[in-house]
Amino acid sequence: MRERITYVQKLGDSIEPSAITIEGGTIRGPEIHAALEDRLTIALRELPLELQVLLGDTRNLHIRWVSKAAYDAVSPLLARLPPGFHLFTTPGTEDVMSNRLCTTLSELFGDISCSTPAESFTSLPRDTSTQSTAFQYFQALDSLSHFIDYAKINLCPENDTSCSTRLDSLIRASSLDISYDAAQHVIRLTALWPYQRQPVHATSRPQYRTEVGILSVDKPKTLEAHEVGISGLLTVLGQDSKPSPTMFSFASRHRDARSSFSARFLTPTGLHPTLQLLLSSNQPPSSSPPHDDDGDTRCSPYAYLTLPRIVFADKYQLSDPLYLTSKNLTALRYITQPVDLEAPEYVMQQWGSAVLVELSPPPSPRGSSMQQWTAEIPLHLRYLTPAQGGYSTIDVPYPVVFWACEADEGTEFPPNPFEKANLGYDGLFNAGTVFWHVKPQPADSSSRLLVSSVRVPVLDLGKASWVNTGTAVAVMLGFVWVVWKLVAVYLRGGHEARAESEKKSQ
Amino acid sequence: MGSHSEPSGRAPSSATSLFSSFFSRPIPLYLSAALLRLVLLLYGLWQDANSPVKYTDIDYLVFTDAARFVSHGQGPYERETYRYTPILAWLLLPTAHKTGHALLDAALFSSGKVLFAAADLVAGRLIERILVKSMDAAAAREFAAIWLLNPMVATISTRGSSEGLLGVLVMALLSAVMARRITLAGLLLGFAVHFKIYPFIYAPAIVWWMDRENMGNGRPEAKKPSAAVPLLSKLTSFITPARLQLAAISLATFLALNMAMFTIYGPPFLQHTYLHHVTRIDHRHNFSPYNTQLYLASAFPATLFSSLSRIESVAFLPQLALSCVLIPLVLAKKDLPAAMLAQTFAFVTFNKVCTSQYFLWYMVLLPLYLPRSSFLGNKILGTTALALWVAAQGLWLQQGYQLEFLGTSTFLPGLWLASLGFFLVNCWILGIIIGDVGRRQFAI
Repeated sequence: MRERITYVQKLGDSIEPSAITIEGGTIRGPEIHAALEDRLTIALRELPLELQVLLGDTRNLHIRWVSKAAYDAVSPLLARLPPGFHLFTTPGTEDVMSNRLCTTLSELFGDISCSTPAESFTSLPRDTSTQSTAFQYFQALDSLSHFIDYAKINLCPENDTSCSTRLDSLIRASSLDISYDAAQHVIRLTALWPYQRQPVHATSRPQYRTEVGILSVDKPKTLEAHEVGISGLLTVLGQDSKPSPTMFSFASRHRDARSSFSARFLTPTGLHPTLQLLLSSNQPPSSSPPHDDDGDTRCSPYAYLTLPRIVFADKYQLSDPLYLTSKNLTALRYITQPVDLEAPEYVMQQWGSAVLVELSPPPSPRGSSMQQWTAEIPLHLRYLTPAQGGYSTIDVPYPVVFWACEADEGTEFPPNPFEKANLGYDGLFNAGTVFWHVKPQPADSSSRLLVSSVRVPVLDLGKASWVNTGTAVAVMLGFVWVVWKLVAVYLRGGHEARAESEKKSQ
Repeated sequence: MGSHSEPSGRAPSSATSLFSSFFSRPIPLYLSAALLRLVLLLYGLWQDANSPVKYTDIDYLVFTDAARFVSHGQGPYERETYRYTPILAWLLLPTAHKTGHALLDAALFSSGKVLFAAADLVAGRLIERILVKSMDAAAAREFAAIWLLNPMVATISTRGSSEGLLGVLVMALLSAVMARRITLAGLLLGFAVHFKIYPFIYAPAIVWWMDRENMGNGRPEAKKPSAAVPLLSKLTSFITPARLQLAAISLATFLALNMAMFTIYGPPFLQHTYLHHVTRIDHRHNFSPYNTQLYLASAFPATLFSSLSRIESVAFLPQLALSCVLIPLVLAKKDLPAAMLAQTFAFVTFNKVCTSQYFLWYMVLLPLYLPRSSFLGNKILGTTALALWVAAQGLWLQQGYQLEFLGTSTFLPGLWLASLGFFLVNCWILGIIIGDVGRRQFAI
């Protein structure tokens, strides 16, 4: 097991080595404004047995939980996903997923509503690269509290209060990634806390190596356009007596577009709610490659949605150019296959569907450089289980919005220390695509949540007691009336056509 | 009725004369019916090309997508929600053809709508042909105009709904039966049932109607008190060569078509064309009186409601008892077209799912019944029935709009009561239709 703790500050912020004190296995520093990433790398054999068995059957498995609370991110920790519980996996050589996967997930994370992988997971488009994943699962999951409890019992040594305390801090994390790759026989737990003021403080543990980095974004003159520069201080606890300065740069696929968006449903929502994205800028990110040789921009804005099964997009509706243009959309680039267009929510097992739409920013009027604009994504609701009161409120997670830009030909993106791959949307683009992330802003400033709520009309269970009887009575009434008329006709004239002459005479 | 030669000093009489001259020859009626559809078709093309809100029905896109799959050598069921016989996709194969010439491609894409619109006209012509046996040609055309110039019918077919094809099939079936062309009738019946299942309800009516008297061979059966006739001889006299012929040919056609389609397209054909109708849960709001109950039942399968006897599980009983047994038995021999109208009306009214497209199924038979109906005889009754039918639908649509577009939970009690109200209005109208067919016996 080993641990890497990284504080990342913004460009221009840095900390003097003299402000850091290192005593024994503990590092202390002043309060700084930074994002905090904590990564544990655990060997497969160090895991509880049930997880070892389960992972033994898979080629790769990525669990990505994202908080629905809005958070500030900082380069290079920019890769985003819609808030909720994401899972991407590829089964091992057997090519079947164990049904235990769903039960184990429930044991770890609590309220996971997948029945079996075969029923609940969806296939991802086949990719030739060995890194890509084959199946996807998503659902809303508001909190990691169940996982924290599980980890305290199964991962912490007995009577180790500092272990529990550290796990408790996960409740404030913005995201948690658990990645397993069979080729490396290790599992990586990476937690990220938002960019905020916090003191520098970490303590090493006797069992494993702990490395602490206090870094900030840097822009050395040699930096290339597709690269991110980093400088700062590195310390291996229990080994180094003072921090050692460092500076490095790497190519990154996740960059900051320096613009923002918010999402909300247009009212009235009805049974066909439209998700409106309000974007702060219609201009491609300023530091992205501006134009092709023939003058075309190589950047387009996209929205990637993970829609719980209650709501879905209709690929047939999103195929008409005029209709798409009227919504400021260019095209539907990807949608999970298949998506049932008719079934009610309560009979479905599939988690839902992922959607990638290319947005179409309107051109700026002459003279102005940047302009706010909206794009609208038409969606449809399924029928939900009847409920008391006649309404159920559901939360649809914010999409991620980014400008995807093609890097110059030949640009390579080798794995970097902050690499995050297998996000669901990255596999839908070329390996040379850079994602310039647009920051999600809560539409409702009081709640600070990255979800859009819809009130879904359902059958009011409180009024349903008379439905069966009432329907039966009405049908019987109608039936008896019609039968009575038939009997009356029969009694008057039997069932024969009496008068031969009638047909002739008319 | 006025004629052309009549001097027309007063305005009303000139209007009457215009009216009668319009129907005195077939050309004006059929030309305007065709023009109406042509205008709607062209307007539809314009709207589709210029507005994000489409004129063309979603179903037409389903058909044409399916036709495209077929033209690429795949099955039509590759298109989700294609729930029809492959023959429909075959009929629309020209729509999948691309020439690269924009105008020509638009015309090719519309060829299915042209087919449906043409089917409307043929159905209208068949209506006229049946009516003309009991009235003069101008009057027959007046009633055929209820179908031919009906804006609802013309809109539905030019938007690309295939119900018009059903209309022509049913009218052709009725004409064939009334012309005593048994082989043709059998082929049409088998084909129609293959095409859309519901025309099977016409089989008992037609078979019952095809007695020796109606088939015109031999004198009318001697009227004896029925109790005196032994059951066995009643049964043997029921089995006539004509009836056997119809049964054999229609069944053979139906089976042959299904076997052919199954051979070509395999289980997806069975699944989507037929089995889907058995397994579907029909939970989405529609006009059917069972709708709310079906939504409830599908959400709580065999738990909350299992102890109660659930009405929707026996919904087929009143529906089939009326449309397949009682109405054919009592009415078919008195007036076959009106009996078929009553059957269709009962089938649609008592069905577990009901949308406005289904109304077309009985609308095509309406002109055959209306001339002697009490709705036309008694203007107050007729106006009341029409007003109630429209109002009950309007009420439902208003509740449906609130649900669908405003998101108001109108399932209970609004939509439920509205669907029950519409159901009872339909039952009342059905009762009057049935009474009319019976009373006609005494109106000689």
